[in-house]
Amino acid sequence: MEVFQALQRLHMIIFSQNVSPCGKFLAAGNNYGQIAIFSLSAALSSEAKEESKKPMVTFQAHDGPVYSMVSTDRHLLSAGDGEVKAWLWAEILKKGCKELWRRQPPYRTSLEVPEINALLLVPKENSLILAGGDCQLHTMDLETGTFTRALWGHTDYIHCLALRERSPEVLSGGEDGAVRLWDLRTAKEVQTIEVYKHEECSRPHNGRWIGCLATDSDWMVCGGGPALTLWHLRSSTPTTIFPMRAPQKHVTFYQDLILSAGQGRCVNQWQLSGELKAQVPGSSPGLLSLSLNQQPAAPECKVGSARGSGDPGRPGCVDRSVTTLLPLGPDSRRQQLQGGCLYQSGLPSFLPVLLTSSNTPTSISGV
Amino acid sequence: MSSESSKKRKPKVIRSDGAPAEGKRNRSDTEQEGKYYSEEAEVDLRDPGRDYELYKYTCQELQRLMAEIQDLKSRGGKDAAVEIEDRRIQSCVHFMTLKKLNRLAHIRLKKGRDQTHEAKQKVDAYHLQLQNLLYEVMHLQKEITKCLEFKSKHEEIDLVSLEEFYKEAPPDISKAEVTMGDPHQQTLARLDWELEQRKRLAEKYRECLSNKEKILKEIEVKKEYLSSLQPRLNSIMQASLPVQEYLFMPFDQAHKQYETARHLPPPLYVLFVQTTAYGQACAHMKSSQPPRQDKTLSVAIEGSVDEAKALFKPPEDSQDDESDSDAEEEQTTKRRRPTLGVQLDDKRKEMLKRHPLSVMLDLKCKDDSVLHLTFYYLMNLNIMTVKAKVTTATELITPISAGDLLSPDSVLSCLYPGDHGKKTPNPANQYQFDKVGILTLRDYVLDLGHPYLWVQKLGGLHFPKEQPQHTVIADHSLSASHMETTMKLLKTRVQSRLALHKQFASLEHGIVPVTSDCQYLFPAKVVSRLVKWVTIAHEDYTELHFTKDIVEAGLAGDTNLYYMALVERGTESDACSSPSSGKGCHSQDVKYRTLLPLCSPCTHLGGIESCDSSQLSWHLIGQGFLLEPPQCWLWCCHPAPALAAKLQAAVVLNPGYSSIPPIFQLCLNWKGEKTNNNDDNIRAMESEVNVCYKELCGPQPSHQLLTNQLQRLCVLLDVYLETESHDDSVEGPKEFPQEKMCLRLFRGPSRMKPFKYNHPQGFFSHR
Repeated sequence: MEVFQALQRLHMIIFSQNVSPCGKFLAAGNNYGQIAIFSLSAALSSEAKEESKKPMVTFQAHDGPVYSMVSTDRHLLSAGDGEVKAWLWAEILKKGCKELWRRQPPYRTSLEVPEINALLLVPKENSLILAGGDCQLHTMDLETGTFTRALWGHTDYIHCLALRERSPEVLSGGEDGAVRLWDLRTAKEVQTIEVYKHEECSRPHNGRWIGCLATDSDWMVCGGGPALTLWHLRSSTPTTIFPMRAPQKHVTFYQDLILSAGQGRCVNQWQLSGELKAQVPGSSPGLLSLSLNQQPAAPECKVGSARGSGDPGRPGCVDRSVTTLLPLGPDSRRQQLQGGCLYQSGLPSFLPVLLTSSNTPTSISGV
Repeated sequence: MSSESSKKRKPKVIRSDGAPAEGKRNRSDTEQEGKYYSEEAEVDLRDPGRDYELYKYTCQELQRLMAEIQDLKSRGGKDAAVEIEDRRIQSCVHFMTLKKLNRLAHIRLKKGRDQTHEAKQKVDAYHLQLQNLLYEVMHLQKEITKCLEFKSKHEEIDLVSLEEFYKEAPPDISKAEVTMGDPHQQTLARLDWELEQRKRLAEKYRECLSNKEKILKEIEVKKEYLSSLQPRLNSIMQASLPVQEYLFMPFDQAHKQYETARHLPPPLYVLFVQTTAYGQACAHMKSSQPPRQDKTLSVAIEGSVDEAKALFKPPEDSQDDESDSDAEEEQTTKRRRPTLGVQLDDKRKEMLKRHPLSVMLDLKCKDDSVLHLTFYYLMNLNIMTVKAKVTTATELITPISAGDLLSPDSVLSCLYPGDHGKKTPNPANQYQFDKVGILTLRDYVLDLGHPYLWVQKLGGLHFPKEQPQHTVIADHSLSASHMETTMKLLKTRVQSRLALHKQFASLEHGIVPVTSDCQYLFPAKVVSRLVKWVTIAHEDYTELHFTKDIVEAGLAGDTNLYYMALVERGTESDACSSPSSGKGCHSQDVKYRTLLPLCSPCTHLGGIESCDSSQLSWHLIGQGFLLEPPQCWLWCCHPAPALAAKLQAAVVLNPGYSSIPPIFQLCLNWKGEKTNNNDDNIRAMESEVNVCYKELCGPQPSHQLLTNQLQRLCVLLDVYLETESHDDSVEGPKEFPQEKMCLRLFRGPSRMKPFKYNHPQGFFSHR
């Protein structure tokens, strides 16, 4: 049995992660359907031990892998094998792990339950958008728990979602290589960008799939099979093609930078002009998800801000035993958690960046 | 009389003194007694007091006369001379008187003396008489005390108490009226009663003796009868031997074994007894037929009993001998100088000596293969070791890669997790080793056998780690509690090893044997082939670049067995020809045509359409394929692929196979090298065979696990290659046409391929 457990640990993949509303805890979901809760404050504190890097709670959430997680003010929503489940953060932290509710979008096929690859909260209308295996975007009203509409148009399964905050529009990217823009008011497809058809970014040997997507209303960045590309949405033209060979699995805007991760050990920081600003190496051979801890109240954020005031190369500041000064990231601080990688980087915004590894050799202990 | 004579002489002296002339004259007349005047008589008459006055007067007269003479002489005168003469005469008279007085005094003294003497003699006589009387008195007193102290013998006799005496004794003896008052009579009566009683008892004693004599005689007679019975019984036993043999009831043999078992050392004895008991219990449980008919477990004792007996001789002799020989040796060393190493070697040999008796255990498996276990006991280390050997019913062709599978050294390794049998289980041994310079037992294991922990437990030896004991005693209950599980483990171990042995033989020929009851785990058509199956060394395994994870996770110990498998999918012509000849052969223009059943939801339709846009030509000859089971058929015509895909699989085979699954690490050589480090799907394939091994176990006891895993690997490679997204920009058709039926090609953020096979429907889906 020991061998079996070791093998299970070796073959664990962390698909999703989410920071708690208070910013002190991190939830991570793996391919065995388990969610583990880590205490960021404990792991990043000066007296952090090996023990505090292990999960404080682990519970079986789904039967299949946990592909996606989001947090509302009080709830943690997780999805993977066709169902979305809700958990109360307060209860999780008290180690009472009982699901609050579960919902399944109306699927048309019964042969195989489609997975849910992406969850997206739309705060304005208090709804949740689910997308995944059945090529549709389902909108669920969080108030009533009913599925209000389904948007279809993708010809293969959907990888990722992004919200255009200014206008209530949603972007979705899928295996079919298209990024589609949906108007939530009319529930219609507004625009389609077939990335692989643009010769600049097409990479046929990698396939046409769009694995990651991020937008800041005017601009959109997407990557996957085709190269990581910055698009101007209104004119739907590629403006910058980032010189990264490996397919990217997660991308996000971060102030005037773009962070991306994927195949390969590094988190890349890009200038909008396409210039690689920094690479922060991690321990796992591939990364599937990045997560930003945006809670300024969280203690480790304060640490980050104190540290990263744009003064690179001040090793004297590294007074915490847990931090490592990385050669590539300017004054970025790395912290490794068992079962995932956590980067606390001294970027100008003073925010810690969390990222999840796809292939982690370390484990959620007690699994 | 003497006094008389002395009295007589004295007057003579006096007379002669007083009248010397007269005395001389009278001397001749001394015999004439009657005429003597007796001075003694005179003494009686005279008063001593007057004599004293006379003496005083005479002395004064003499003094006066002397003074006058002196006076005259000094004056000198004429008349003086006369005067002096006168005076001299006077003084002579006085002298005479003095003489007389002196004699008298002497006589008086003599008389007094005589009287005193007489009185003294009288006193002496009286004193003697007194002494005699006193002695007599003392003697009498002694006699009296002797009499008083006399003890009668009757006091030593323990008499019955008074009340009892009066109660029990007949009145003619007790005579109560006489004896009540008189203790003497009472005692006499009691003594009489005692005597009476003793007489009666003596009578009884004699009776008993005669009785005993009689019984003894009877016993003698019966003994004779019994001894005459023994030879008869022996002859019956002798006669029954063939019957025993005929009926498979070797009571006799068992008896002999128990006889020898008495000479076994305690742990081996415990082992012997417990295994025999277990064997009998099993035999009884299994069938109601004659119990020993299907014996799966047989126990025997081997070795020389005499040597074992010799061990029980008092050890001092041998030690003496040793010391003697040591001394001799020391002497000889000066000449020969045998090196220190030789002596140390002898000591080591002595320490590692095993008991001359050993227990042979034959464990028969269902397929008539037998596991021979020989248990030894190392006397000085107090541990047990085992040597194992497997024999099979039919001669085995030994495949090269199966070299270690049945080797005595490793066949029983890790029967229980972590029990490698290389270290001594007795913590005390380390100190003994230090003395003679043995580093570990490991170097001697080949020779001595393996000291597995379970062997110690079967022998009832338990060595607690926390509190080492001085003497470890063989314990039956410990042995009994481990017997059943251990025997079962041994059996499964042998069976799984034999199964592996057979499987390896075909694996080396590139055939993955899949039994019919495991057929449902795989699709009917598997194109990828196993082309190589070799054993590799542990070091080689650790040096492979794609096994780092396993090594770091501590799953690659040196007790495991390591293999390298090569699975290949080459060109289509290769698939038809023998796998070995197809390596690296690229045939460009072989046309391939296949008919494949397709079952697909609408999602898959997109996949097909996109395929259509490529250079392939698909012909749809069916309809209504949205949600229904296989109804449509696709034709596919295209040129054959050019490159062979080679999948290397490094296999860790735990000695505890098949309860502990083998671990596969993969490396695919196709369009560059792909390992779990750079390809999620390779990692997924690994977890398909490593983590999801349970569904591959097949029917219990899952001996097919390894071959099923290998076959699964072939299927996985097929799926991997066939679902690989085609590079549209490159001219030409897909290298590996999709023959497997898949619901979807990719799923989830990591774009997993559909590796899971669904049996009755025959399609592949995602896990």
